[in-house]
Amino acid sequence: MMQAPVTVLQTNTRRDTGKKAQYGNILAAKAVADIVRTTLGPRAMLKMLLDANGGIVLTNDGNAILREIDVSHPAAKSIIELSRTQDEAVGDGTTSVIILAGEMLAAAEPFLERNLHPTVIIRAYMRALEDALRLVDAAAFPIDVQDRDQMLKIVNSCIGTKFTQRLGNLVADLALDAVQLVKVDVPGGTPEIDLKKWAKVEKIPGASLEDSRVLRGVMFEKDVVVPGRMRRKIANPRILLLDCPLEYKKGENQTNVELAKEEDWAALLKLEEDWVARTCAQIAALKPDLVITEKGLSDLAAHYLTKAGISAIRRLRKTDNNRIARAAGATIVSRPDEATERDIGTGAGLFEVRKIGDEFWTFIVDCEDPKACSIVLRGASKDVLNEVERNLHDAMGVARNVVLDPRLVPGGGAVEMAVSHGLAELSTAGGVLGNEQAAYRAVGAALEVIPRTLASNCGANVIRTISKLRAAHAEKSSSFGINGNTGKVEDMRELGVWEPYEVKAQTLKTAVEAATLLLRIDDIVSGLKKRGGGGGKGGGVPQVDSGENVDSEHMLQE
Amino acid sequence: MSGASGPQLHINGDRTSGQDVRTQNTTAVLAVANILKSSLGPVGLDKMLVDDIGDVTISNDGATILKLLEVEHPAAKILVDLADLQDQEVGDGTTSVVIFASELLKRGNDLVRSKIHPTSILSGFRLAMREACKYVEENLAISTDTLGKDTLLNAARTAMSSKIVGSEADFFGNIVVEAVTSVKTTSEQGKTKYPVSAINILKAHGKSLKDSQLLDGYALNLGRAAQGMPKRVEGARIACLDMNLQKARMHMGVQVLVSDPAELEKIRERESDITRERIQKIIDAGANVILTTKGIDDMSLKYFVEAGAIACRRVPKEDLKRVARATGASIVMTLADMEGQESFDAVNLGSAEEVAEETVSDNDVIMVRRPRNTRAVTVLLRGANDYLLDEVDRSLHDAFCIVKRVLESGRVVPGGGAVEAALNVYLENFATTLGSREQLAIAEFADALLIIPKTLAVNAAKDATELVAKLRAYHFTAQKHLAKFGLDLIEGTVRDNVDAGVLEPALSKLKIIQFATEAAITILRIDDLIRLAPEPEEGEE
Repeated sequence: MMQAPVTVLQTNTRRDTGKKAQYGNILAAKAVADIVRTTLGPRAMLKMLLDANGGIVLTNDGNAILREIDVSHPAAKSIIELSRTQDEAVGDGTTSVIILAGEMLAAAEPFLERNLHPTVIIRAYMRALEDALRLVDAAAFPIDVQDRDQMLKIVNSCIGTKFTQRLGNLVADLALDAVQLVKVDVPGGTPEIDLKKWAKVEKIPGASLEDSRVLRGVMFEKDVVVPGRMRRKIANPRILLLDCPLEYKKGENQTNVELAKEEDWAALLKLEEDWVARTCAQIAALKPDLVITEKGLSDLAAHYLTKAGISAIRRLRKTDNNRIARAAGATIVSRPDEATERDIGTGAGLFEVRKIGDEFWTFIVDCEDPKACSIVLRGASKDVLNEVERNLHDAMGVARNVVLDPRLVPGGGAVEMAVSHGLAELSTAGGVLGNEQAAYRAVGAALEVIPRTLASNCGANVIRTISKLRAAHAEKSSSFGINGNTGKVEDMRELGVWEPYEVKAQTLKTAVEAATLLLRIDDIVSGLKKRGGGGGKGGGVPQVDSGENVDSEHMLQE
Repeated sequence: MSGASGPQLHINGDRTSGQDVRTQNTTAVLAVANILKSSLGPVGLDKMLVDDIGDVTISNDGATILKLLEVEHPAAKILVDLADLQDQEVGDGTTSVVIFASELLKRGNDLVRSKIHPTSILSGFRLAMREACKYVEENLAISTDTLGKDTLLNAARTAMSSKIVGSEADFFGNIVVEAVTSVKTTSEQGKTKYPVSAINILKAHGKSLKDSQLLDGYALNLGRAAQGMPKRVEGARIACLDMNLQKARMHMGVQVLVSDPAELEKIRERESDITRERIQKIIDAGANVILTTKGIDDMSLKYFVEAGAIACRRVPKEDLKRVARATGASIVMTLADMEGQESFDAVNLGSAEEVAEETVSDNDVIMVRRPRNTRAVTVLLRGANDYLLDEVDRSLHDAFCIVKRVLESGRVVPGGGAVEAALNVYLENFATTLGSREQLAIAEFADALLIIPKTLAVNAAKDATELVAKLRAYHFTAQKHLAKFGLDLIEGTVRDNVDAGVLEPALSKLKIIQFATEAAITILRIDDLIRLAPEPEEGEE
């Protein structure tokens, strides 16, 4: 009996199943890894990326490169996510994690070909990860965070791969200073270091990179409201921070005014002026030298403030305001009539507006105990500055990690090699039996990709170098790695190439876990329609104003 | 009825009937089950689902996969609903229920083809289902009291064995058991309940799966509204609000008409003051933690800062409800009272020993610790990327449900195909005692049950035929004793699964059998399918 074909799924979906899906995933991961492969190590090359708007990104930061790349394969997307995770978690090692994850998947390919079940491979991988972390633990040793020279060396060796290495200690210095500045010791706990909130990087094209520095205070691109009549330089300023407007703002309710007499109109205007005058008087009573508000400031208010000899700055970003509050010890006030002496910040040593290039920059510096800072980067062009900023970001990540967890492992592929060697030994020592053994060893072998890539990026003979390195590790000298500049096998302890333990451990964890996630997949269905979640519901119902839209301002009806 | 088609009944669309429609339905259902098959069991694999925007979901959970698959065929859709139902009722076993239902349907369809009337098949299936459930309850289910402490852990491990967390099942098993047991609540009637909803799952990038942890207290994934607020409040009195603390504004375009310009200023004043008074009332009532689902003006924040209270705005409603339940607070929609005044009663406040803002990975979270009513807990998941975390979230949810069922019902059955094999042997014997047409249907039902151990064995790349035969042999001889033997899929042998700790809640198995049978019956009853052509829309060709 013939019958019509039955369509179960939508016809526009595509399905890859079984081996095809698995190989597809591995291929995609490898492809992503190949993109960033050449950016590992001190002899790394930069990538130039043109985005859709014609903007240029010039970088060798794994995360920055992959962020810009638009991939369609779902597995590739999953891999790219990893570098973001790495960036968020530790701020460095974004390239290694991608390369490692790609290699972990590639290492599984021969096993799939030999029909080893993915779950067996995964079990072996997870076990290897556990042992590998133990080995990294064993290779790690603590350092003294207070020793600046040592810290500098570490940060430098971590960002040695970057563009800024030619600038000597510059970036490392900046990063260390910034981290020390924003570090807040929590009694009995780990110190709190929030670089995202309290350290801001300001890039100003012009001058040379050597002029970059960390301010003991905050700077931002703003000028006083009335240049010329307000003071632009004040020593030991009293600072008042506001987050309310200093201009007459209409109420939230829709209010209509019906005027019968002509004089009422004048009265109405006077009312507004009076309000501004009163508010300014309240502020002036506190005798601040500087008023900064996040919102608007009308000309009239500016006039009153000028008369009172107060400099004013308007429309500052909330985050900047928070930083000033922390640096100068001020409290942000939301109603001028409620401001008190306690809210005034007196911690800053100098307020100054300087003209750099074409722009006016406000500096609030020389603070007693800043705990928040701006980092000024100077340099030839925007592209260079952007790259330096990314390097600085990595460097700060490294510095923070070392302060939080002061343990180091030898760099230059040494620790990878040591783990690889250790895993191989553990597997033959009888720890792992059965069909898991081969996959377990594969993890170790896959780790060699890091020294291998380092060697090939600096033009050394890969096979010879790696075998030499392997030999060195067999003789129990686990700190031997590859000198990324010369391609020689050297003792990383003597060379002073270190990496924070946190970064290494995170790289391993992320790479192996991502690989196992993708290995478990045996079916890819693509082209599904996105379910319209909120689209259908309540679309036609008239919207009741529930006050959700905080920022909307309602105008008086004419 | 040949030749009668056409003018008598005009249908704008297709009509299929009789054997055609049954075969068609069966094919569609089998197709769906085949998609899911490979994800069953401890050696099952995952599916990657990509939508047209490119968003990726990686899952092993039957209900999730089917929901995202966009099944088109109407009969197959019944299966999707079935998986969903199982997910809601039990929380796990969604894959098994679909596979079993499709197998039943296939066998039912074969019977119809050999000219047995559907109704006798249906009544046979029903009878078999009843017998099966009775047998499970009377003979197979084991009370957890006799099994010792590890039962819960084992059940959780079994539920997670097929998922991505399988290799870390011990680690997560402990988390799950501890989480579920710590949210235990006893109602006034003396009934103990384990509200899974009191367990919050928080996902954060970075670290590895093994760095996941169980946090004491309910975590809200947001920060304090202003940096000036304290980071930690002890002896917290919590106000849960579902209202705005912004400048007061009339609703829906109410206009105020004034004739005196001075009035205008007063309105403005009043607007700020109303809010200030409201806040003052809340603070006066003793609240030092204020959570609201709506906004708080920057202007109003200062009052909280001065009062040394933590205020959080835009708390998701779902979270607020849970916090309210845990702390004994009631959610306040408005301050208006019966006298037409505004007031805030301290009765509405919930309490917890401590509320603090903490930094987890890159995010700030508000932890509500040791609330008054229930011990709320939060599982903080760490992992490589979002897809991984989402899948772990789903897996843990399944495990929570399983542990909860075990705790509530107190009865478990051995897993790994043990129940199915035991039922198969029992039902086959039972069938031979019946002299009616139902005998055939019951025998088929018995065989259909074997699809579960078969699929398990096939996924593990073992010899399914041999293994299942061995399993049945064990059960045939052991029918009188407790039949605990199931498959060991790693080694490919038959073993005592109770000893090995492969356990499932009895409830889950019962529901699988019941729901699957109902679904199969529903589909088998269909003998006519009318698919109307979509109405041509105006303006289109």
